[in-house]
Amino acid sequence: MALNEHQPFVVTKLDEFLTWAQSSAIWPMTMGLACCAIEMMSIVSPRYDTARFGAEVFRSSPRQSDLMIVSGRVSNKMAPVLRQLYEQMPDPKWVISMGACASTGGVFDNYAITPADTFLPIDIYVPGCPPSPDALIYSLMQLRREIRAGSKTKVLAENA
Amino acid sequence: MTLDLRALESNPDLLLTPGDDRDTLILSMGPQHPSTHGVLRVMLKLDGETVISAEPEIGFLHTGIEKQAENLFWQQAITVVDRADYLAPLSNSLCFVLAAERLLDIDRQIPERARVLRVMFTELTRLASHLVWLGTHCLDLGAQSIFFYAFEMRERILSIMEFVTGARMHQSWFRIGGLAIDVPKGFLDTIDDFIGRFPDRLNDMRAIVEKNVIIVDRLVGIGKIGQQEAIDWGLTGPPLRATGIAYDVRRAHPYCDYDTYDFDVPTQTTGDCYARFVVRLDEMVQSWRIIKQARERFPGGPVVIDDRKIVPPPKTEIQHSMEALIHHFKLVSSGFNVPEGHIYQSVEGPRGEMGMYVTSAGGNKPWRVRWRPSSFYHTQALKRLAPGNLIADVVAIIGSMDPVFGDVDR
Amino acid sequence: MPEIVNPHPERAGIADLVPELTKAAGEDFLEAVSEDDMDEIALRPGGLLAVITRLREAGFNHLLDVGGTDHHPLTPRFEISYILTAIPLGDVRDPRRLFGLKRFRLRVFPSDAEPVVPTLSDVWPSANWAEREIFDLFGVLFAGHPDLRRILNPDDWKGHPLRKDYPLRGLERRFAAGGHVGSVPPLRES
Repeated sequence: MALNEHQPFVVTKLDEFLTWAQSSAIWPMTMGLACCAIEMMSIVSPRYDTARFGAEVFRSSPRQSDLMIVSGRVSNKMAPVLRQLYEQMPDPKWVISMGACASTGGVFDNYAITPADTFLPIDIYVPGCPPSPDALIYSLMQLRREIRAGSKTKVLAENA
Repeated sequence: MTLDLRALESNPDLLLTPGDDRDTLILSMGPQHPSTHGVLRVMLKLDGETVISAEPEIGFLHTGIEKQAENLFWQQAITVVDRADYLAPLSNSLCFVLAAERLLDIDRQIPERARVLRVMFTELTRLASHLVWLGTHCLDLGAQSIFFYAFEMRERILSIMEFVTGARMHQSWFRIGGLAIDVPKGFLDTIDDFIGRFPDRLNDMRAIVEKNVIIVDRLVGIGKIGQQEAIDWGLTGPPLRATGIAYDVRRAHPYCDYDTYDFDVPTQTTGDCYARFVVRLDEMVQSWRIIKQARERFPGGPVVIDDRKIVPPPKTEIQHSMEALIHHFKLVSSGFNVPEGHIYQSVEGPRGEMGMYVTSAGGNKPWRVRWRPSSFYHTQALKRLAPGNLIADVVAIIGSMDPVFGDVDR
Repeated sequence: MPEIVNPHPERAGIADLVPELTKAAGEDFLEAVSEDDMDEIALRPGGLLAVITRLREAGFNHLLDVGGTDHHPLTPRFEISYILTAIPLGDVRDPRRLFGLKRFRLRVFPSDAEPVVPTLSDVWPSANWAEREIFDLFGVLFAGHPDLRRILNPDDWKGHPLRKDYPLRGLERRFAAGGHVGSVPPLRES
């Protein structure tokens, strides 16, 4: 969904409005796998409070959520389940790979764990083991910037 | 009832059970579910809303921790071992560290300050774990506010952890031979503040939930299990104590000087979800008492044993002494050897008896770290506890058994 | 030290028990050791059920754990370890009565060629899953088990991961980067 300066004013503004709406109310899915899930639960706790960003509504059903936070290590048995859940989510959807295990396998370099990007397209990787809730909220902010800008390359260009 | 899921895929007619004169439905609850406390699939055979049989399926978080630990040095293995029961990381490390110390025969030499701090932080971990249990269990039952109270208190504990060890979860602070680092200045004030605040907050939380008519209605009489059956199904920890058996590893087989602390082992007799609920609430009070006593003791002295073959020398010494440098190098590059042998060490984790049967082949890596996972046996007990209840009760039962799937699947 | 209350003075102490268990195991008996943490006997699978019966009579009613170890390249390579404890029933709300509970360990060594051990799942329901796990991770079979299939790894997994000759990183990568299980759409670009 690129912003093209040559598009008419109305469409551009509509785009901005849509991305503003999408980024202001990102509803994650309750996809807690392991330890990172506990830190993910902490972001709705009073100290970190993602309610102020519109993201405290964790929907259990993939049909009603737009963000999948892969919070925890992904085992071989769980990966097809995650893939199915991802496919059940309606567009537009985003995926945050939270933690070292979801991003790269983390501390576990063995037969049982696979990184999330081997079967899902990831938008944001969050480092940490587990990442503190601050880090997850920062990643959410980054995702919002990315949604508003329309693409990742635009965000990088703006922040350069 | 055993279900062959592969067969189900090719022959969906298996969903209809021939010979059953009721219309039964097989519902797969999980592995993504808000109330299963992690990645658990329970195949429920339902008659309307009543569960006829339940077959839990696990393995969705199998991480190969035991295999990973066989490929890491003894000190390195502490990091992966932390991540099994991820709500109580220090309990896991304590078990492993105690096992390794007993194999090395240095368990009697651990300085008192290290032992007191180990007890204090293990009890803080137990509190943190029970607070997550309280918040999520009540959230499953529909009480959302208590989640915020519990997590706010947990944040205070995690702040203390971060202040002392550098990490909120997965601290890897207990090391073989003592602790990684000593507590910083200002720790005593922080812990005194926590000790002062906690009882009132706990009483606030208890006032909300313990006699609440909805919680009582949803938990009393559900998931009842008797003593003999609890033992047959391998239950330990709060589920066993809720049936009236005060089996607590801290009192039965004391470690880390737990026999010198004054605390009770709360029990109930009815063995249902409400009994387990009350047992865990009472345990929080006892943990607070132990932390208070540990704070009062707070001895000075070193936090590691004085054996440079096992514990690296302090950094300041490495700058002057060649020997210290060599010791440090050897420890970091190739660890230390643990004499051949095997030992079963158990600790009282928040979930029950957490044990490790550690086998050493004399090398610098563990030969085998067999975990005795308390949640594994508790999840299996769902086969016995769920039938006869409604689906909503299954949620209450899972919460009351408090499984952590890192512990179940490892 | 709290005062130890022994509720069952008529039960045999561990030292008296070991000769009886040795006899019960018969020719399958290997050795008896009094380790630091608890007493144990090592035996071959044939004597397991007789020994378990005798232990249950002696009050060991709680099966704490069933675990497996692979001692490859030593033989016999597989060791199945059973840890038992004796928990009194009734009104045991006083933890002092449970101080110093007896524990016992059995180490069963099945043969390498045909590792089969009798199941204990009809004696203790808790053994059911533990034995499935050992089958999944080591490949040891449990004769008489009602449902011996994999529990931790996917059903179509090849190999037994915790064996010493199974590589740490596994024999295959199910989900190779570059994707294959359902195709991975590219990241949204502008």
